Amino acid sequence: MIYWGALYGGSITSILFNIPGEPWAVAATFDGYPMAKGGQPGKALVLAFLAHGAGAIVGVVVLTFFAPILAEFALRFGPAEVFAVMMLTFSAFVGLGGKSPLKTVTAILFGFILASVGMDIVSGQLRMTYGTFVLMGGFHFIVAVIGLFGLGEIFLTVEEGLKVEGIKVWIGLKDIRDGMKEIIRYPKALIMGTLIGCWMGFKPGGATPASFMAYGFCKQASANAAEFGKGVPAGIIAPEAAAHAAGTSATIPMITLGIPGSPTMAVIMGGLMIFGLQPGPMLFVEHKDFVWGLIASTWVGNVLGFFVVLAFAPIFASILRVRFAIFMPLIIYVCAIGAYAVNNRMMDVYYMLMFGVLGYLFKKLDYPIAPMVLALVLGDMAEQSMRQALIIGHGSPLVFFTLPLALPLMVAAIIIFFWPVIAPWKAKLFAKKA
Amino acid sequence: MRKAEIWVSLAFMLLGVIVIADSIRLGFMWGRTGPASGFFPFYLAVVMVISSVIVFFNAFTLYKKEGAGKPLMPPGALKSILWVVIPSAAMVMLMEFVGLHIAAALFLGFYMRAVGKIGWTTTLLVGIIAPLSLYITFDKLFLIPLPQGLWGGYILRF
Repeated sequence: MIYWGALYGGSITSILFNIPGEPWAVAATFDGYPMAKGGQPGKALVLAFLAHGAGAIVGVVVLTFFAPILAEFALRFGPAEVFAVMMLTFSAFVGLGGKSPLKTVTAILFGFILASVGMDIVSGQLRMTYGTFVLMGGFHFIVAVIGLFGLGEIFLTVEEGLKVEGIKVWIGLKDIRDGMKEIIRYPKALIMGTLIGCWMGFKPGGATPASFMAYGFCKQASANAAEFGKGVPAGIIAPEAAAHAAGTSATIPMITLGIPGSPTMAVIMGGLMIFGLQPGPMLFVEHKDFVWGLIASTWVGNVLGFFVVLAFAPIFASILRVRFAIFMPLIIYVCAIGAYAVNNRMMDVYYMLMFGVLGYLFKKLDYPIAPMVLALVLGDMAEQSMRQALIIGHGSPLVFFTLPLALPLMVAAIIIFFWPVIAPWKAKLFAKKA
Repeated sequence: MRKAEIWVSLAFMLLGVIVIADSIRLGFMWGRTGPASGFFPFYLAVVMVISSVIVFFNAFTLYKKEGAGKPLMPPGALKSILWVVIPSAAMVMLMEFVGLHIAAALFLGFYMRAVGKIGWTTTLLVGIIAPLSLYITFDKLFLIPLPQGLWGGYILRF
């Protein structure tokens, strides 16, 4: 449990440090920044936190009730079904990710290939090592995450010449009262945001599109749509609630199916595996106490996090004003410690540097990073389940399309995969009719 | 930008071909106990080569038609990025000799002083306090041995 406390503490700070850096916070800046500039920074922050809190609570409720049901369902999964769920996960990235589908496919396959380097989990043969000793250990996904996200982000910031402009802020009791009064007046924005968040959270890469979707829907449904973008409260509430609800409900596929929907979840899953807990449906049978402890800790963590955030936001905001030239080398230092500590291997620190440059190139050329990391995480599992399924089916790929549970999953995966092709075609069809 | 696009897609293709070669060595067909070791990577690599070939042709035709397009980085950015990449690579190399914390202290000092143009007092304070506190937390309290390098153990003796 101490570990979970630490993990929560860590995730809270990482959320705070990156407030403008996280992709799902972008939608909140549309109205949050104008409001803060208009002389109400405290109110804007309180609104955002309250919306986060509400989104989190609903997300946790959904987690509490749906996770066991889904886990029970998932216990009936064989290798073919597991592979089908993964296909669904990755085709969601390709079809709904919004980036170039070809580049997404390339990035996913690259991740899978990196995962297959080293010992073959089924036969024990060495693969893709080309006779070298260093490649035998393969690539660990935590190292890749640290390099791709941590260092890659630093290179991007350095390139932009970094000017962090903060607005001075102090949250008083009056701001909190105002915010609470305000948020009650916008129940529609709150509910809409939360529901969209929960729904999108199940799918991989959910939080960012969820916040944008919530913002868009709320703007459409609002009577004064023209006011959006100038600092209306509803424009802060909806995307923030959606982002946090999505973040919470993203835990569900991770603990019930063992398939993380985002790199953050993948890192948390890595943490569980270090402690010898294999996330997946069996976790609900073998470690019942742990699962409920985990769900309880999300309750406690979210409630506590809300107050911590409220109390310390001004302090964190002042950390952001520290000179970047002091901050940046410290980040690289901590990244190096993290990369080394994964396996106690010096090689991983070199890999981290390489992944950093790679992450920068990927970002620049619009190759998505998140699906690549997930492919690296799930590579072994995907390959194993696919090979087992093929063995069960005596080598016929039809095994994925004849089992009653696997068939709908595979069909859904294929439809979503080809969505970029289907959507314009469907639109054309409807346009002709009309 | 488009030149970089072309080069990256070529790199993916090359990687794919290398992986295919090793998969063929391992066998990508049905082995004695089901699909052989090379089965999964082989198809991954084949699809990766195909998709990067398409990316390559898209980028190449655009390049032919409209020229190189925007540069990959804004002017001057390469220099400031190299000022981060080269010192951090140097830090990693130094780690082999003097260990992580001493190398990091040198890196911190160098970057703050030479690149950030920060005063000597702050530089020295951060450069000493940060590695020292991290050394005490990780190596002494958490008992996680971080790399000492060849001579680091002789320098840090507490």
